[in-house]
Amino acid sequence: MNKKQHKEAARRPHTSKVGSFGGVTLLFFFLLAWLWASWWMGDVFRVAYERSFFAPDATLMHWLVQKQMGWMLVAGRALLTLWRWPLAGGLLVALLLTAASWLTGRCLRLSGCLLWLRYVPATGWLMWTSHVGLNLYYMAEPGRILGVPALYVAALALLAFALRLFTGKPHSRPAASWRWAVGEALFVVLCFGLCVWHQQARHPYLRPLTRMQVQLLHDDFAGMSATAHENADLCNRHVAGYYAIALARTGQLADRLFDIRLDFDTISARDYHGWSSQCLNYHVVDCDYHAGLYRAARHYVMEDMTMAGPSLFSLKYLAKIALLDGDWVLARKYFHIIRKAPFEGPFLRRFEPMAGHPELVQADPELAAVLGMAPPLHTFEQFHLKPAFLGYYANLKVFKTKEALIWSTMACLYAKRMPDFLQRCGQLIGSSLPRSIAEGLAIAAVKEPGVLKAFPQLEMQMDFLDGFVRDSQPYMQDREAGADVLFERYKGYYPYYYFFGNIRNARKPGDDEQRQNNAGVN
Amino acid sequence: MRKAIFIRMALIVATMAMACCSRKPSSVPTTFTELADSAAIFPDYSDVTIPPNIAPLNVKVSDASATEYVVEMGDLIAGAAKDGKTDIDTTAWRQLLGQNRGKDIAVRVYAHRPGGWVRFVPFTIHVAAEDIDGYLSYRLIEPGYELYRQLGLYQRNLTNFNEAVIYENNRDFSDDDNHCVNCHNFQNYDTEHMLFHVRAAHGGTVVVDGNEAHKIAIKHDSILAAGVYPSWHPTLPLVAFSTNNTGQVFHMYHKEKIEVLDVASDLLLYDVENNSVRHILRSDKYLETFPCWAPDGRRLFYCRAVRPVDDLPENMPMQMAIHYDSLLYDIYSIPFDPDTRSFGEPRLEVDASSQGRSTSVPRVSPDGRYLLYTLGNYGQFHIWHNSADLWAKKIGDEGTEECFPLAAANSDKAESYHSWSSNGRWIAFVSRRLDAAYSRVFIAYFDRDGRAHKPFLLPQRDPDHNTLLLKSYNVPELTKSAVRISVERLNHVVYHTEAERASYTE
Repeated sequence: MNKKQHKEAARRPHTSKVGSFGGVTLLFFFLLAWLWASWWMGDVFRVAYERSFFAPDATLMHWLVQKQMGWMLVAGRALLTLWRWPLAGGLLVALLLTAASWLTGRCLRLSGCLLWLRYVPATGWLMWTSHVGLNLYYMAEPGRILGVPALYVAALALLAFALRLFTGKPHSRPAASWRWAVGEALFVVLCFGLCVWHQQARHPYLRPLTRMQVQLLHDDFAGMSATAHENADLCNRHVAGYYAIALARTGQLADRLFDIRLDFDTISARDYHGWSSQCLNYHVVDCDYHAGLYRAARHYVMEDMTMAGPSLFSLKYLAKIALLDGDWVLARKYFHIIRKAPFEGPFLRRFEPMAGHPELVQADPELAAVLGMAPPLHTFEQFHLKPAFLGYYANLKVFKTKEALIWSTMACLYAKRMPDFLQRCGQLIGSSLPRSIAEGLAIAAVKEPGVLKAFPQLEMQMDFLDGFVRDSQPYMQDREAGADVLFERYKGYYPYYYFFGNIRNARKPGDDEQRQNNAGVN
Repeated sequence: MRKAIFIRMALIVATMAMACCSRKPSSVPTTFTELADSAAIFPDYSDVTIPPNIAPLNVKVSDASATEYVVEMGDLIAGAAKDGKTDIDTTAWRQLLGQNRGKDIAVRVYAHRPGGWVRFVPFTIHVAAEDIDGYLSYRLIEPGYELYRQLGLYQRNLTNFNEAVIYENNRDFSDDDNHCVNCHNFQNYDTEHMLFHVRAAHGGTVVVDGNEAHKIAIKHDSILAAGVYPSWHPTLPLVAFSTNNTGQVFHMYHKEKIEVLDVASDLLLYDVENNSVRHILRSDKYLETFPCWAPDGRRLFYCRAVRPVDDLPENMPMQMAIHYDSLLYDIYSIPFDPDTRSFGEPRLEVDASSQGRSTSVPRVSPDGRYLLYTLGNYGQFHIWHNSADLWAKKIGDEGTEECFPLAAANSDKAESYHSWSSNGRWIAFVSRRLDAAYSRVFIAYFDRDGRAHKPFLLPQRDPDHNTLLLKSYNVPELTKSAVRISVERLNHVVYHTEAERASYTE
């Protein structure tokens, strides 16, 4: 090819072959993004949707519109509503990221060996979502999740339109070989792989945790238990909290609470101050509510709404708690607000008819269970250990139901408060003992032989305990190491928890500090 | 600010554009069926007494099958589409009230059902002869418990729907800037002199003098805490404050939700001109709070309770919480000599404790004839007590005083924090009667015989506003004029000036 022919070739638009290669990699990116967003991150974004609130109403969105970039945040929240259905939400994310990549390539006129650069903004967003973990939506504005990419796409679309308008011709790219396309595809795969790896390394609990939260939304308590068991060695406080809810609602609290690690690694999250936080209040509302402490749940959910603005999570809880309190007008107010949000028909169809009808409240399995666990006597929240969920039951001495007695006994076992535990066990003499309580009594019997007289059925437990003591003896000086070694063999066994569980109890500055610094009588 | 106005305007335009698309009837139906039922309208404006200068009373009519509505108020016709919301023309409304000052307006509500138009039982709105002060200032805050985020002091023009910002805290979370504002107070229904507190970052008390302001700090080893509940002397540059050591506890299973308790409290007198402060009353035996000057400035009213615990250990609020329902406050007054600026001996004004009840927030009418207060079963933070009702005492010669409830103004939910209009004919107060959780402003006519009439909810352009708003109204204060000082100036004072420490005199 001589010089003239080269010039001719350069002048001719070469979009067909390159376009098809570029299109294939874009399609590949789109499919990977859809898979990532709807399957890998599906539950995470679904929970983000619950922690967000959008309604096409000026009064309700006024507080958000007034913030910096308020319209972008509102738009982001509006797009997030599609996550009511993770497949649809994933499709939206995939479309946004693909459009962002395509437009980046067009506006920057990338071609040939540089074409892979068009994926950098989209993969940057992927990496950010993988990096921030709970802070994607907790103690953070959920509107930015999709608001930022949507704004980016809109800005690039305008720029591309302007370029097209002023240059008057489509962007032409020189011919590129299929090798560049393969390289581009490899880059995309590498980026997705990196995101998945980074998220698993930094936030291993995030997917199981959000999975359990979504299962809780569907009253799938068996599924929650299964998810916790599949991730039994996670050592995460939030997962443990949701696991306890599942066990309590299926009557297995006293049999299976110690089946998972209860050591509680530190997590990578930040509070509103930007300080490292263990996000202790993340699960407290759910736990308090399902433990019958719905007043304490309201306390925390109101604080959450004060700090983060209304969310479906907070509004739904406030509506249900109003029903439990018999505040029908208040419940209707919350239902009225929730109705303004799109796609919340199922919740409204289930709960709204209960306003003004206590018999319907009593007939609902969830609300009836909560009422059944409610404290029998007047007390102040501050008189109990924080978080109130198990702390309340550890201090409770009067019980409305046997279930509440079991909870309190388990709370004492969890807190390793053996004298209090024994005091409650006195009320269980003569009845069949749940597994963990029998195992706890076996430990108590070592110091107090009278226990064996009161509970003669513990003989076999004492043999197990002897075996455990023999196995665990070498690790008594280094319990953290022992916890790892012995877990597989002794998971679910209370003496293992008693000696090797909950020994780190890491607690970093965070929620409590925030409460102190920003608290007062308003 | 401009951005906020622009955004608000855009929202209003969008809402109006949507409203234009829906059909609203513009005339009274000629044929209809008379019903024996009353219309379901929100807010309930039936048989209320309103000032002749109030903003239009828009309502939302609810009917299961109706597709459109007509609300006929005298000569004024307001149509509503399927959503049942009226948007009354302000000019026509003013004309209507102008023509009916001191008279009654008959209101007829029509609904278009599939079978044709129906008319509900008519009701009446009474228009008083006396105006209400033109402005109402209040704080908007989530009815949260301990934490706060975005909040502010706002001022509503009662003759229309304009709400202006007096001061707002930071909208975005920032350790360096997070602060709460509260307890705004004006001198003698005028906005020339006002104050409000700033807590946490940039803390202090902002004292406004016309278009200028400065920040002070009331701190001293002899003072329990900063100044809290304020009351401007009606004529002198003096402010009476309570200083309170306050805590709160949360009920786990009780008809009430929260108890806010003072562990200790005293009364202070702050001299604005000399930036000095001194105690009015200080004792370990009593809890004194909620000061309020008589309109002649020669007597200070306040609430007083006997402390149930003499020696409080470290966790004082917890100890006090055990006695939460035995804290009973009476109203006392103490004479004040403006010349010597000295106080006399306290006098019991309302003896509630002997009846096993407790008072809060005394406020004397501008003519000095009535003492308005809240009465509840115990404690002083009555906005969280369902038992709290408005009561009044007729102030006269000794032996002729009587205390009575403002029955028509009260509800089975909490009523509290009331203020008088400068002509003494209107009282604005907050109540949780709508939903037991979010306090809203109600306004009641207080006639010359000391009788309160059925109150009306602060009108809004969108009647749904009071349902959708997730904030509570606090401390409604009526003033004759708008606050003059700009938001920018107050921002500067709060953010960029140091609080001047008040000197303490024994």
